[in-house]
Amino acid sequence: MDAIDREILWLTQDGIGIEDRPFLHVARRLKISEEEVVGRLRRLERAGVVRRFGTRINPRKAGLAANAMVAWSVAPDRIADIGTAMAESPDVTHCYERRTIPGRWKYNLYTVLHCHDREDVLHKVGALSRATGAADYRILISTEEFKRRPSGRIEAAPGCRQ
Amino acid sequence: MHLDPRDRALLQQVQDAFPLDPRPYRVLGGMLGMPEREVMERLADLSRRGVIKHIAPILEPRSVGIRSSTLVAMRVPEERMHEVAAVINEYDSVSHNYRRDDDYNLWFTVAEASDEALFETLDEIRRRSMIPPGEILNLPVVQRFKLDVRFRFLPEEEDDGRDR
Repeated sequence: MDAIDREILWLTQDGIGIEDRPFLHVARRLKISEEEVVGRLRRLERAGVVRRFGTRINPRKAGLAANAMVAWSVAPDRIADIGTAMAESPDVTHCYERRTIPGRWKYNLYTVLHCHDREDVLHKVGALSRATGAADYRILISTEEFKRRPSGRIEAAPGCRQ
Repeated sequence: MHLDPRDRALLQQVQDAFPLDPRPYRVLGGMLGMPEREVMERLADLSRRGVIKHIAPILEPRSVGIRSSTLVAMRVPEERMHEVAAVINEYDSVSHNYRRDDDYNLWFTVAEASDEALFETLDEIRRRSMIPPGEILNLPVVQRFKLDVRFRFLPEEEDDGRDR
């Protein structure tokens, strides 16, 4: 990632416009062509710096009102298999192994599911449990969102800022 | 929130495979058999209604220097919930913060460049929130199996063959 790549990401990370030529202002500011802007974004995507270029959706406004985190307690020698299997479900957006706190907290695998409602949550979690044999879990449904934003951001670009 | 079939088809496409082209809305129109004008009007409307937050590159956290991240759960007295949540939200390194219906009722994620920076941020949050250590769970990531926040907008039977 060079300085121009960083500038492009910094200038587009909060959203491109809905206009005929949404990359035009970035191109002008960096004195390169629009083709170069999109070409660099494509390259950053292929290189894995950009996971994908696309729309950030607000699930609550798109009919998916119930966000459930499920904490599972699974045998350490099965966590790789179960984690991989759960990750394959299209309903699961996040799947992580996390450290436990011996004597206080035994859950070592975490999934996030975005569902229509509580009933849908129970149905989908039940299906994951049956499919993987993970039977010891705790469902944590969100009842209020205080903050939700991407975790990766370019905080400052060298060069043309300030 | 009503989404008609054309909205759904458009949402699925802009979420899964936004065309990186100088005229992306024209290309999307070509893919979906919609005039460019309609693509832009529908996207503007979905954006006004809050369904779409924005169209942007979604960065891989590791590629922007994030090396250490954790999930924290707290038991917060009900009357202090909004105050504590507001303190936590102040930190740029906090990406998600939710009330959840459990004994541990506040859950947030923090990501920093190093273990040391993460430790310092958590320590400061602990002090400022005045939640005792025995009421806090710190659950650092051991390994990531999946991070892919995409949704299905089309009924499954019309959605086959899609690489996901």
